[in-house]
Amino acid sequence: MTTPLLETRNLTITFGGVIAANDVSLKIEAGRNLAIIGPNGAGKTTFLNICTGWIKPRKGQVLFQGEDVTALPPRKIVQRGVARAFQIPQLFTEHTALENLLIAAAARDGMRNPLIDLHDTPARDEMLHLLEMVNCADVAHRLVVELSEGQRKLIDIAVALALKPRLLLMDEPTSGVASSEKDGIMEILITALAEAKVTSVFVEHDMGIVQKYADEVAVWNAGNVQLRGAPAEILEHPDVIRDVIGEVA
Amino acid sequence: MNVTIFLLALFDGVSYAALVFIVALGLTLIFGVMRILNVAHGSLYAIGAYATVSLTGFALSMGAAPILAFPLMLISAVLVGLLIGGPIEVLLLRRIYNKPEVLQLLVTFAVFMILEDVQRLVWGTQPYFQSAVLQSLGNITVLGVTYTVYQLILLPLVAVALLLGLRFFLRHTLNGKLILATTEDREAAQSIGIDADRVFLLTFIVGAILAGLGGALASPTTSILPGMGADMIVLSFAVVATAGLGQIEGAALTALMIGLGRSFAIYFWPEIAVLVPYLIMVLVLLVRPEGLFGSPAARKI
Repeated sequence: MTTPLLETRNLTITFGGVIAANDVSLKIEAGRNLAIIGPNGAGKTTFLNICTGWIKPRKGQVLFQGEDVTALPPRKIVQRGVARAFQIPQLFTEHTALENLLIAAAARDGMRNPLIDLHDTPARDEMLHLLEMVNCADVAHRLVVELSEGQRKLIDIAVALALKPRLLLMDEPTSGVASSEKDGIMEILITALAEAKVTSVFVEHDMGIVQKYADEVAVWNAGNVQLRGAPAEILEHPDVIRDVIGEVA
Repeated sequence: MNVTIFLLALFDGVSYAALVFIVALGLTLIFGVMRILNVAHGSLYAIGAYATVSLTGFALSMGAAPILAFPLMLISAVLVGLLIGGPIEVLLLRRIYNKPEVLQLLVTFAVFMILEDVQRLVWGTQPYFQSAVLQSLGNITVLGVTYTVYQLILLPLVAVALLLGLRFFLRHTLNGKLILATTEDREAAQSIGIDADRVFLLTFIVGAILAGLGGALASPTTSILPGMGADMIVLSFAVVATAGLGQIEGAALTALMIGLGRSFAIYFWPEIAVLVPYLIMVLVLLVRPEGLFGSPAARKI
């Protein structure tokens, strides 16, 4: 049996009496996009935050490709290959789209030459290609603050891909976007992830998107995984219809 | 108005403004990136001056040429940045970035008080004077007024070079952009793998070196004595606040305004000379509370 891409063992944490993670043990295999669904407050975002090092669990371990990364600071975990995209894109809004990617590439490659010109870096072509992959080549030189929410989402994904991750954790990749745009964004996203050979885990409330784009679904409830399986099977499950889909609908 | 006196006031003002600007540049860089108003900046200035005087005095007593004072100034400034600035950031400031501003001010003020006493302990209360280097570059005569090349040419040149260099570094190099990005959003920077702790440490050290360099360059032109750090922090704060906190180019202009205002007052209305910098600051801040070049709530440098 191969080492899972990411594995958590007995993750436990409480916030002021609320159990946000209750003994979560989970394996994520490379190449299978996993959707995380569940009611609000079930601990979905906490799980992503623990995996990326922003929250340290009271108990338990996070292993990435077999290495224990639980105690590492977030930036070290990023360097190992776990990237994160947020519900609200965390971009540098006073820089252009391309500059955001160049900054990410510089963070990835380290700062060797302190005086290298911003637009003269070896990563420039690669970053322009990434912008093409997410259909944003035309806005490469626009300031992020001027772009639409959908474009920002895509550029946020491109920034995450610029870090050359093996695993991308996303918190509601299509939230805040008009529903007519959601499918388009997910199409671009899933295609780009496949091309870059990146496995994704995404928290999602839109069951249509889960159905269409996830290879697997994990249902979160009260700080732990309640059910896990193929989308068709999970979305038909009576408990899920009652606890999750009912609430969303 | 007598031309000679006018020129003297002008030259005094320009050379003084250059010194104040170098110190203010460090203060505004640290504030722009880290959002910390470092009161201890004044002590770093004073210690830069003391260190230069001690090192130069030692070198001269060993028979070195006065010109050797220039590398010693640079060494003093770098030592101040590394040996005093570095530990201040790592041991103290790192713990208080998320604390209220009042607390941050109190901490850096406490460091200032401690460093003031350290200076008295190490160098005593007698004034030091070491001006050998002042004449080493010779004099220049403009319309009958003779002035040292050091003060009239070198100091302004260093100030302008630092301004342009820092501006270029921040706006046009990748590492400058990494610093600006960390300034804009520390969390986002960390989530793409930028070592924000290191960015802050390096920024603080560079800012501290600028304070030390200001003191080192000022040392041949003035008596080195207790209290000089307090004068300088107040003056450079006036420059930075008048320009708008974090505004690099603006600080150059306000340093010139305040330097010239002060020196002209010394010649023409000496009673209010000490007041002039603050009068300028108060007048500007009454009309534009965010400073001449600042925008409200901006966090740019």
